[in-house]
Amino acid sequence: MPEIRVTPLGAAEAGSTSHPPSCSGAGQDVGRSCILVSIGGKNVMLDCGMHMGFSDDRRFPDFSYITRNGRLTDFLDCVIISHFHLDHCGALPYFSEMVGYDGPIYMTQPTQAICPILLEDYRKIAVDKKGEANFFTSQMIKDCMKKVVAVHLHQTVQVDDELEIKAYYAGHVLGAAMFQIKVGSESVVYTGDYNMTPDRHLGAAWIDKCRPNLLITESTYATTIRDSKRCRERDFLKKVHETVERGGKVLIPVFALGRAQELCILLETFWERMDLKAPIYFSTGLTEKANHYYKLFIPWTNQKIRKTFVQRNMFEFKHIKAFDRAFADSPGPMVVFATPGMLHAGQSLQIFRKWAGSERNMVIMPGYCVQGTVGHKILSGQRKLEMEGRQVLEVKMQVEYMSFSAHADAKGIMQLVGQAEPENVLLVHGEAKKMEFLKQKIEQEFRVSCYMPANGETVTLSTSPSIPVGISLGLLKREMAQGLLPDAKKPRLLHGTLIMKDSNFRLVSSEQALKELGLSEHQLRFTCRVHLHDTRKEQETALRVYSHLKSVLKDHCVQHLPDGSVTVESILIQAAAHSEDPSTKVLLVSWTYQDEELGSYLTSLLKKGLPQAS
Amino acid sequence: MDPECSRLLPALCAVLVDPRQPVADDTCLEKLLDWFKTVTEAGPSLLLLQENPCLVELLFRVLKAHDPHPRVLSFSLRLAGLFAAQEDCFQYLQQGELLPMLFGEAGPLGGAAWTAPTVRSGWLQGLRSLAQHPSALLFLADCGAVDTIFSLQGDSSLFVASAAGQLLVHILALAMQSPAEGHPSPQGCDWPACAQKIVCHVEDSLHSTATPQVTQALNVLTTTFGHCHGPWTQGLWVRLSPLVACLLEKDPIPASHSLMDLLLSVARSPVGSSDCGLWETLAQTLSHLSPIQAGPLALGILKLQDCPQALKTQAFGVLLQPLACVLKAAAQSPGPPGFPEGATGDSMTVDTFLSSKSACVGLLCQALAHLELLQLLPQRPSPWPQAPLLRAAVAILRFCNGSAAPTSDVGGHLCAVLAGCVRVQRAALDFLGTLSQGTGPQELVTQVFAVLLEYLTSPDSSPTVLKKAFQATLRWLLGSPKAPSCCDLDPHTQLFLRELLPVLRKRLCSPCWEARDSGLEFLTQVTRHWGGQAAFRHALLASEVPELTRQLLRDPESYVRASAVTATGQLSSWGLYTTPTSPEHPEVQQESLFTELLHILSTDSEGFPRRAVMQVFTQWLKDGHADVAEDLEQFVARVLQVASRDLDWEVRAQGLELALVFLEQLLGHPGSRCPYAVALPEAAAPATLAQVLQALCRVQLFEFALRALFDCDRPVAQKSCDLLLFLRAKATPCGGPQEAGASPDVVSVEAALQRWQAGEQGQPLGELEPEAVMAVLRSMDLEGLRGTLAKSSDHIEKSPQSLLQDLLASVGVLGENEADCY
Repeated sequence: MPEIRVTPLGAAEAGSTSHPPSCSGAGQDVGRSCILVSIGGKNVMLDCGMHMGFSDDRRFPDFSYITRNGRLTDFLDCVIISHFHLDHCGALPYFSEMVGYDGPIYMTQPTQAICPILLEDYRKIAVDKKGEANFFTSQMIKDCMKKVVAVHLHQTVQVDDELEIKAYYAGHVLGAAMFQIKVGSESVVYTGDYNMTPDRHLGAAWIDKCRPNLLITESTYATTIRDSKRCRERDFLKKVHETVERGGKVLIPVFALGRAQELCILLETFWERMDLKAPIYFSTGLTEKANHYYKLFIPWTNQKIRKTFVQRNMFEFKHIKAFDRAFADSPGPMVVFATPGMLHAGQSLQIFRKWAGSERNMVIMPGYCVQGTVGHKILSGQRKLEMEGRQVLEVKMQVEYMSFSAHADAKGIMQLVGQAEPENVLLVHGEAKKMEFLKQKIEQEFRVSCYMPANGETVTLSTSPSIPVGISLGLLKREMAQGLLPDAKKPRLLHGTLIMKDSNFRLVSSEQALKELGLSEHQLRFTCRVHLHDTRKEQETALRVYSHLKSVLKDHCVQHLPDGSVTVESILIQAAAHSEDPSTKVLLVSWTYQDEELGSYLTSLLKKGLPQAS
Repeated sequence: MDPECSRLLPALCAVLVDPRQPVADDTCLEKLLDWFKTVTEAGPSLLLLQENPCLVELLFRVLKAHDPHPRVLSFSLRLAGLFAAQEDCFQYLQQGELLPMLFGEAGPLGGAAWTAPTVRSGWLQGLRSLAQHPSALLFLADCGAVDTIFSLQGDSSLFVASAAGQLLVHILALAMQSPAEGHPSPQGCDWPACAQKIVCHVEDSLHSTATPQVTQALNVLTTTFGHCHGPWTQGLWVRLSPLVACLLEKDPIPASHSLMDLLLSVARSPVGSSDCGLWETLAQTLSHLSPIQAGPLALGILKLQDCPQALKTQAFGVLLQPLACVLKAAAQSPGPPGFPEGATGDSMTVDTFLSSKSACVGLLCQALAHLELLQLLPQRPSPWPQAPLLRAAVAILRFCNGSAAPTSDVGGHLCAVLAGCVRVQRAALDFLGTLSQGTGPQELVTQVFAVLLEYLTSPDSSPTVLKKAFQATLRWLLGSPKAPSCCDLDPHTQLFLRELLPVLRKRLCSPCWEARDSGLEFLTQVTRHWGGQAAFRHALLASEVPELTRQLLRDPESYVRASAVTATGQLSSWGLYTTPTSPEHPEVQQESLFTELLHILSTDSEGFPRRAVMQVFTQWLKDGHADVAEDLEQFVARVLQVASRDLDWEVRAQGLELALVFLEQLLGHPGSRCPYAVALPEAAAPATLAQVLQALCRVQLFEFALRALFDCDRPVAQKSCDLLLFLRAKATPCGGPQEAGASPDVVSVEAALQRWQAGEQGQPLGELEPEAVMAVLRSMDLEGLRGTLAKSSDHIEKSPQSLLQDLLASVGVLGENEADCY
């Protein structure tokens, strides 16, 4: 039986050959989406993420598990990247330029444009902050991006003669896509991260009823029904507004892309509406460049942005200006977006140090921070931070956490499963207990099997082999002659003879089959003996049978032949005397397999006896 | 252990066992274990446990917990293993019966938690750490752990299964090395019970009809022979090799990949050299396997140091078979393909070619990759069949682009299968590039260039194929021989260049950025090597390539702009950067390029082009580029002024590098010189130190460097520190300007430094006097600063105290934030 195999490789565990083992099973794996799928003899790697929480080899998946045999380039048919977040693409240059994968990489056009910016951003932080020498270089990022093949939404891309992929809109971030991977009649859909509700700049995820054998879906918010994002946005604006009103400064540490753009639109609109004068700045050119891409990829944003684009480009901000380092010392209120997002180096940390001492100021962390970073410390409530040179920084500014993450919640996941109508569902990127709850819900509601493998565990699904059968023109014409036109929605029964020749199957008429195979026709008849108590002669018995059947089978052609036998369609009935008992007559009934139903009915009818002669 | 950590530890242990307090971040426990590993490796674990009783208590409480979190349980198992690695500590834990409770039948092994792979993984890793001494071996035997490890070899988790196999090897090695056992005989009759048990299990598995079990056994043996080299391994091989040989007789051979790995592992180990039968087995295996399976084994054999020549020849034949088939299929007239005997394109390979497209493509790609690898090895077969390999590579590329005219059935099939196959094109171009290391008959080299040109020209070439075609072309061009008489390019190369440059011009106009970029990278490389060759210069100047390169400085794609900057910089260094508009005033154009590059440095929104500009400027300075030499100080001052304001720390760091080159030149340490460079006046006679300092003040290098000392990005500060230390070291012995005391200048410099240190960036320093600067430099603790900067800026974050504080602080706080990843 053909099978589909799926192995999430997210976290390396014990037995890792290249680095110390880590351990996270199916638990929350904030970083590193990396899933290996084998389908129809093809091997595809879905995403190639890194784990932001580690700064050694553990940040990358252990690719030595992909294959023990031969080169990666020979083993893998392609790599597909769902979106530009580092937990989905951060290990890509490492994989392609340092581990040595030299095959094709597929992603959408916006992802292709934005991915190198984030990778570059991350590389700079790694080299700057940690002084890492053994890290991918700018040149490697470029060389990696040159291996990328960009795909358009809903365009079927032929990876090779057998393997094809197709991208669907996923919301979540600009350019995020779900991918359908298809080999022959087998298919898998991988959602990556997605969002089933439109947000300020992106639309909702959508997929057609593609009925894949397997849907691999993220389940970050597996049990959560998320509160309205509008509430969170209102809360955010209120906090920023209050701080600015009282003359304070607001620092929003962000990564270059995604969250930053969303918050910029939010603030820009609010500033416009409220006619606020306090300046808003970006700390580096990175975000400006990102905005450039958002402008470039307007078709990927939501309907509202696309509509208003004619009058005004939402990403051309009137109130938001580029930041100069000297501005941080300027008096008065301001809002600054600064990178990196976890307050662990560079500009955002420098501004934080300057502003931390004043209660009037505020820092808003709009995303996850890994342990060890200043962002993590202040979010966990630490207010005295030891900085370089044993300096202690007292944090008096207000610290806020605001989640704007755009993942599908439990309702959204169910909605997508309903849309795609998969035969099986596989949950990834979530916590075991929460996933268990969702798994049960999916199994109950959709009556499909749901899996939740831990990292390193392989799920194997058997699929039905697909055997194409050709139908002869003659047979089709005969069918058409009956006046019924083919209708894709109404399956019909078609009789014919199945011939297997040269590994091909064809359905033809039985006459054609006989002709092609050089066979003569044989008749197969069923026979049955029915004993009747009747003292009359055989001819009379036959006549009685004829009369009885004639009266019962009004819709059938019942005949009494000159030789004394009775026929009903192809069924032949002859009456004979019993060799031992003259008062008993034997009815010999025979019929062809085509009339099996009628034959069986007749025999059961005759077995009940004949009506008494009046 | 640090007293502060000791103080925090009890609270942390309490949190870990509290089921109401989920561990917030899955990396924290990993980092905690990293730290415990360091601590246990640095000192006695027993003392650690005695001084911190909360640790043992933690282990007990986790065991007693009703439903411990799998991650915490796994952590505890691994932690216990780390402690028990030291024998005295092991005994200490044994007294409390803790270890059997953790690792024995009564522990998690029998509980519901065992279903979590992370717990099974933790159990294995704990045992792996623990198994370091003879007492551990006894313990393993007593608690029946080895049987559990056997079963975990077939675990549903790849990670667990792999760890189980490795642990078995570790235990086997430990048992065999154990001093208590003396020197076990190679035969195995007196081997320790534990080792016997493992070997018997391996034997049983090798007998099994289930392939997964055979694979597990083979993998264990492969690791064993790869890592263990004691005399006992010889005995092990004597005992098991008949079973391995039996596997080879089966049809199909079970777990063939693992079997090959094992045979190669044995061949590489000392066992291999003493077993003549092994070579026979390898030869037999090679002939039994299908072509696609035999490839990796053949390559492995050819990589072996000591191996019989006959086997090597056989292995090389296996690798050459697919290419021999190709040659045969491509041949216009019958004749030997020229490969060594044995590689004639056998029927098995032909069958594979004909069986399916994927089999054909797979086999060819594998063969090309293996031969490419082999070509680079010192032990590659000799004589190396360079000419037929070249012919084969060209033939494959021709099949792929449809320009071959096959005369045989196989040829026709290959034509149909390979047409437009990017995978094979990539592999063949890589291989062809590697073959440039050797030579070939001229007629063949001409064919190579012809096929490369076809690929460079073809609109069907995908960007990746085009890039590889450019790379291969570059390698062949640079490897091509020079004409003996005039040291210039040989006529064939010149002819090729004339054909190539129009193609390059076309590619520089490609709508695909990858193509433009690969073209520019090629141009840079070829100019770097041939900028001085008259024929190249002539051909290039006659083409529109330099002009197009200049236009690409305004390309919409930043990668292309960066490559264009590098290319124009390179062209300009060789005097090849001219514009057709005003050829009579080359110096004006040079000036315009500088201005144009400076403009990019000041205004480009992306870092790549700006960084490329800085690299070009630094190179120009090193080479004594005419444009730089014209007004050196003006050049440096303008570049530094722009670089110092850049938001990209790498540009600022490059600015400091340029400053260092300038400084070295002023002090009379000129760097490399380009033959086309104009000699700098300063290089002739090193200036006096006072003059140097004056010059540095004029270009405002001090302000840039001193400001950079407090840059928020560490590498900038580090570079600046190095630069100033270098300057101070140079200035002091030469008796530079004397102390300026507390002159107003010094006071203002120090005041500015304090402001910068405090993070205020806005204040300019103004005009500086060298004396004041030197006085400030002497008074600064630059060594101390360098020491601080040398530690990575997150050394505090990485500290165990920080980790413990974070773990404690984040209890119950970060739950929601976890999933909100970027």
